[in-house]
Amino acid sequence: MMSCEEFERLGLDMDRPDATPEEAALASEHAERCPDCNALLASWREVKEDLRLLREITVLESAPARVEMRLKQELRTRRESRVPRSTVAIASWALTAAAVVAAAVGWFHARQTVPAVNGNSNPLAVRSVLPGDASTVDPMLLAADYDAASFTQLPGSMPSVSSDESVVQVRIQRGALMQFGLPVEPEQASEWVDVDFLVGEDGQPVAVRLHQESQGDSGPQ
Amino acid sequence: MKIVEEKEPALLKRAVRGDEQAFLALYQRHQSSLYRYALRMTGSPWAAEEVVQEVFLLLIREPQKFQPDRGELGAFLFGVTRNRVMKHLERLPREDSLDAVNGNGNHWKEPEDPLTPMLIAEKRERIEQVREAVLGLPAEFREAVVLCELEEMSYEEAAQACGCPVGTIRSRLHRGRALLLAKLELLRDAPRRAGAGAK
Repeated sequence: MMSCEEFERLGLDMDRPDATPEEAALASEHAERCPDCNALLASWREVKEDLRLLREITVLESAPARVEMRLKQELRTRRESRVPRSTVAIASWALTAAAVVAAAVGWFHARQTVPAVNGNSNPLAVRSVLPGDASTVDPMLLAADYDAASFTQLPGSMPSVSSDESVVQVRIQRGALMQFGLPVEPEQASEWVDVDFLVGEDGQPVAVRLHQESQGDSGPQ
Repeated sequence: MKIVEEKEPALLKRAVRGDEQAFLALYQRHQSSLYRYALRMTGSPWAAEEVVQEVFLLLIREPQKFQPDRGELGAFLFGVTRNRVMKHLERLPREDSLDAVNGNGNHWKEPEDPLTPMLIAEKRERIEQVREAVLGLPAEFREAVVLCELEEMSYEEAAQACGCPVGTIRSRLHRGRALLLAKLELLRDAPRRAGAGAK
């Protein structure tokens, strides 16, 4: 059996859909026997009816149209200010590609122009030889080889008229001779050759000769 | 797939990317229930409008706050609405509309009842009294009454919405009812059981 205190706490739920059948039955039984709790139940049912009316007059309520307009405006503003992802992706790739190309050009340029030091594997290994200086050079290459007549004039250079020239011995890939305007067979371009450059007093090469023993060399030693 | 059939996380994803149709579909699905809750809690169409706008602006600006694996979008939006309403009530305990004009500029929908003008007026007065009494309740009891009696949620649903146990909701509803009865008793000066729950 339900007490008045229990009825006040649980009994008024008897009309709710989620009230358990047992609780509803106990509450109903108590309300039939107790006039005070019956009056309380009646009062609550009146208030429930008023709440139902309050619910009815607000059930169709919704946010005014201006809220939707403001939200649409927010969406549009954000959409217009957003940079397309495709544009960002393309720009990123373009920058990366440009950086790679610039690095490659710089590396290639550096490898082509930086003079090499003896003992490294740079294809432009150079030994500078002055006429008469036999101490640092392979005697096979020096000595009587210094004969201007054996040199080939480089295209665009003037024949040397002074005695201040020097001979520079280099081991280069045959293809590098193209920089001096000399023709090279494509299939021979990667061959390593020993050449002598006749360098004028201005430091510019004016003529070149190829060591005969370099024919068919495959690479620097 | 028709937009009405799309699941809400997918719609939200499209909305965030600027798809207006997707956003409006979500808005139309949820705005009225959120607005009604805010209106019933604050008693103010203006406050309810502001709350709904804030909730959906949050959805646009910070969509990552909704995590589909943690629950439905509706529950998330309700939670945000609830927080906004409670903050509003903390700042301004109660705002009353001085008349029965709602946020759209329309008068409250009259209860459909083939009664005489006097009975209609009496009914309108009763409705206004119960509305005043609900808005006069402390926030946590008011919420229990709004959710369980006006929104017609089950105890389970109301507990989930509030993030509290079912027992807590029942307890708050019990207290809210008692206070409502006491307030209305004073307003209407009708004979009620003395001290009925208003302890």
